[in-house]
Amino acid sequence: MDAPSIYQKLTPVFQEVFDDVNLIAGPTLSAKDVPEWDSLNHIRLVVSIESEFKIKFTIGEITAMKNVGDLVALIQKKI
Amino acid sequence: MNAAPKALASFEVGQRASIAFAVTAEEMAAFAALSGDYNPLHSDAAFAAARGFAGRVVYGALLVAKLSRLIGMELPGRDALWTGLDIQFAAPLLVGEEAVLEAVVAQVSPATKSMVLRVSLKRDDRVLARGKATVSMRDGG
Repeated sequence: MDAPSIYQKLTPVFQEVFDDVNLIAGPTLSAKDVPEWDSLNHIRLVVSIESEFKIKFTIGEITAMKNVGDLVALIQKKI
Repeated sequence: MNAAPKALASFEVGQRASIAFAVTAEEMAAFAALSGDYNPLHSDAAFAAARGFAGRVVYGALLVAKLSRLIGMELPGRDALWTGLDIQFAAPLLVGEEAVLEAVVAQVSPATKSMVLRVSLKRDDRVLARGKATVSMRDGG
């Protein structure tokens, strides 16, 4: 799956988790841009992404991610 | 009473646990006092009958309390930290009716030390409620 397709698939996941229909999953988006992106919603986000793409992350991968661009690169490696 | 702690890795998709129960009049009275919800749909059989129910309707949140027991005591048990619930009530459970509440592991996420449970409440074969619970695992270490 190419990166644009992943971003397209990620956007509704972000919108659902953060309850914001205007939120777009772009490469520079990070936790500091979304007030609702707290630790519990981070767990919900990761679990939802794992379910959506049928992949699993490791703790190290999760902590190393700085923004959605990193996330998409990681997803590309796993699918 | 509570089982020994289990590591997240010991849980598998498809693993399940259930409890069977019938909500008693005493539980309804206790929940009314606890919640302050004295809506007659839950306490007055005649009022409930006038609205098409064959008996007093069990509080939805009391059913969620039964789910709390299932998650906190059975699956995953002691180290559970319940972080999310999405539930729909499709049909009422009446006081005294036998029901089975079941949780099935739908997803295990080692990266977040959490799992997703599919939950359902059935009376005989009829689904009265279904939902999804997210649970983190927190040990004391």
